[in-house]
Amino acid sequence: MKQKPLTMTRVALGSLLRKPATVPYPAARKPVYLATRGHIAIEEDKCNLCLICDRRCPTGAIAVDRTGKTWAIDRLRCIQCNHCVDVCPRKCLAMENDYTTPMQMKRSDVVPVPFTPPQPKPKPAAAPAPTSDSPLQAKEERPGERNHEPPDQSSAD
Amino acid sequence: MANRTVIPFGPQHPVLPEPIHLDLVIEDEHVVEAIPSFGFIHRGLEKLVEKKDFTEFTFIAERICGICSYIHGMGYCQAVETVMGLEIPERAKWLRTMWSELSRIHSHMMWLGLLADAFGFENLFMACWRLREGILDVIEETSGGRVIFGAAKVGGCRRDVPDDLLARIPAQLNAVEDELRAITNVFRDDFSVRQRLCGVGLLSRNDAYDLGAVGPMLRASGVAQDSRLDGYAAYDKIAVEPIVEESGDCWGRTMVRIREIYQSFDILRHVLPNVPPGPVDMKITGAPKGEFFARLEQPRGEVIYYVKGNGTKFLDRFRVRTPTFANIPPLLKMLQGCQLADVPVIVLTIDPCISCAER
Amino acid sequence: MSAWTRILAAILFVLLSPILAGLLAGLDRIISARMQSRIGPPLLQPIYDLLKLFQKERIAVNRSGHFFLLGYLLFTILAGIEFFIGGDLLIVIFALALASVFFVLGAFAAGSPYSHIGAERELIQIMASEPMLIMCAMGFYVATGSFQVTTIHAQPTPLIATLPGIFLGMIYILTIKLRKSPFDLSTSHHAHQEIVKGITTEFAGPYLAIIELAHGYETILLLGFLYLFFAPWPLLALAALIAVYFLEILADNTHARLYWQWVLRTSWAFTAIVGAGNLILLHYLQRGGTP
Ligand code: SF4
Ligand code: SF4
Repeated sequence: MKQKPLTMTRVALGSLLRKPATVPYPAARKPVYLATRGHIAIEEDKCNLCLICDRRCPTGAIAVDRTGKTWAIDRLRCIQCNHCVDVCPRKCLAMENDYTTPMQMKRSDVVPVPFTPPQPKPKPAAAPAPTSDSPLQAKEERPGERNHEPPDQSSAD
Repeated sequence: MANRTVIPFGPQHPVLPEPIHLDLVIEDEHVVEAIPSFGFIHRGLEKLVEKKDFTEFTFIAERICGICSYIHGMGYCQAVETVMGLEIPERAKWLRTMWSELSRIHSHMMWLGLLADAFGFENLFMACWRLREGILDVIEETSGGRVIFGAAKVGGCRRDVPDDLLARIPAQLNAVEDELRAITNVFRDDFSVRQRLCGVGLLSRNDAYDLGAVGPMLRASGVAQDSRLDGYAAYDKIAVEPIVEESGDCWGRTMVRIREIYQSFDILRHVLPNVPPGPVDMKITGAPKGEFFARLEQPRGEVIYYVKGNGTKFLDRFRVRTPTFANIPPLLKMLQGCQLADVPVIVLTIDPCISCAER
Repeated sequence: MSAWTRILAAILFVLLSPILAGLLAGLDRIISARMQSRIGPPLLQPIYDLLKLFQKERIAVNRSGHFFLLGYLLFTILAGIEFFIGGDLLIVIFALALASVFFVLGAFAAGSPYSHIGAERELIQIMASEPMLIMCAMGFYVATGSFQVTTIHAQPTPLIATLPGIFLGMIYILTIKLRKSPFDLSTSHHAHQEIVKGITTEFAGPYLAIIELAHGYETILLLGFLYLFFAPWPLLALAALIAVYFLEILADNTHARLYWQWVLRTSWAFTAIVGAGNLILLHYLQRGGTP
């Protein structure tokens, strides 16, 4: 095959005349698609602090605190795998299609969750089963009791 | 007799963004010997299989590599599915094929750019990567991720692609392909590129075969071997012709990859309109018991996944033989006697992915 | 030229060259970026870079290396001053060669193999470009009968008419001197090279700034050489310089880096054909015209 000199010239001059393909990032952004996995968002009103997302997240990016009633995500650890969205029983997590602004310091985004656990009734017969809402919570019966416990004991379990 | 100098090459080196270390023994500017050392990026991913639910391990398998991520995930799933005796839905097979070919195109285009960078052709490098964005956009639109697709799943695919989107993709691909022609012509014809590639890093047919080269390395030395012929996913319904060059030098390997890009475009044009309707996913019950070797064709060559299940949610053993690992012995052979200026070019023509190789 | 104008020219050269070279490099980066479909850095980026380098920590690999670097800067400036005050071209060329030798010695002073190979390649680049520079001075001499820049500058007809070959040769070696592809062997403006940054690998912070500065002076000086070919017509000269610089950028963006053997071979061949060819032709023409 024949070798030719300067075959790139046309491309180079063409690019010189065209608009650049890059965008000056913070000032302008690339469009995102519907399917883009950008960042995890939570509808905190629906969450019942069941801890499933916390346990199933492959990187341990989510930290759910039942005592403090918060749901927190470390966005630098999150790998946008969408798994938490798939497993959340209350369907309160969603994968938004835009990216968060780059952070300048490592921190977690902490979201307070307004959920009040149904108080376990003294008479078991009359208890409306909270099980359907949150199996884990009902089994362990923790949030109600834990508020009264001294902190060292709660950390022990 | 010239003095011998040892030039350290990597693991931190601007032209080689891969954590491998080579001690190059140099005489004048000729490499007498290359001594590799590995293990800079061992992450123990194979061991993790004992700690993660076998379905969730897909996420880890996908992250063995950042470039052929999808095929890693898919290969793992395929191995587990075979162990469990699952027959995944037809649509899932076709979508897997589509994503594999998209991976191949974007990987090869990235590689072309890196190669151009290795011989100091910045503009060509930028041009390849700019066009690759077009493919990444398609990937993002279909799977949600740009390099980590997150679409593989034991039992099928994690997400479906709407039919109207599938119908739109060929036009996007054609646009990329048209622009790509001008760039690949530069690789094929340009004087300065040919000076740097032709006759460099010769690997004879016998050496390639004996030293166990795989993928474009092997095919550029004249051996027609391509695991896609085994007919995994939907490849049994698509005619794939292995692309072979006879020259066995860096230029031959470049040509193999360039022709594979166009071949993948053709395959995609055939696959996209033929994706059958139906579910993309199936319910999985039970846990894998038994063992299996899955062989797939990655952009870098043949990859092997070994999976051994014991009937629990946690697998006993998972093992990957990555193409880069297989291509290292031929690399060391090619480096003997080359010029220092050729080292980055030769190292790049195996398309090294050390992170894959060390997992 | 009176003594005062000479001093003024020298001061202007020393003060303005870095700024001019910085702007030129900035334009170079923007145009290269556009050729690569990128937006590119701000125009003043090279100047910011230089100022920042001067602020950085001084890390010394080897002290003698830094002495040599100062020699590199000093002799480049001296060569430039000699040129812009209208002095002797031969002195300019020898001072420039000495400066390059200082640079190479500086790189050899550090123990790094990258630096050593870079220095070896720089020597080869000097070997490749020096004959053409000397040929250029000879060409000027044959055409004007003098090595004095003032005399050459005062020619009524532009020298490009009689020395087109020499001009082409100078463009060729300008590519080497500006460290553009395909000749960016010993070091490159891009770090992606098998010997990393080659000859400059072991210099950081203020010392790297010195190299950049000297490189800036050298660029202006070489452009001054090219200016001489069009001296009577300054506007045409400016246009020619812009065109030449644009061609350099284009060459940088349309070539791979080649081997040193190739560089040496072609530049000598080119020098011999266009440079010596031009000289011989000129010689005969002059003899024929004025026996
Ligand atoms: S997307 Fe994945 S990594 Fe991110 S928080 Fe959810 S489960 Fe964790
Ligand atoms: S899985 Fe859903 S409901 Fe449970 S804690 Fe997480 S976000 Fe809340």
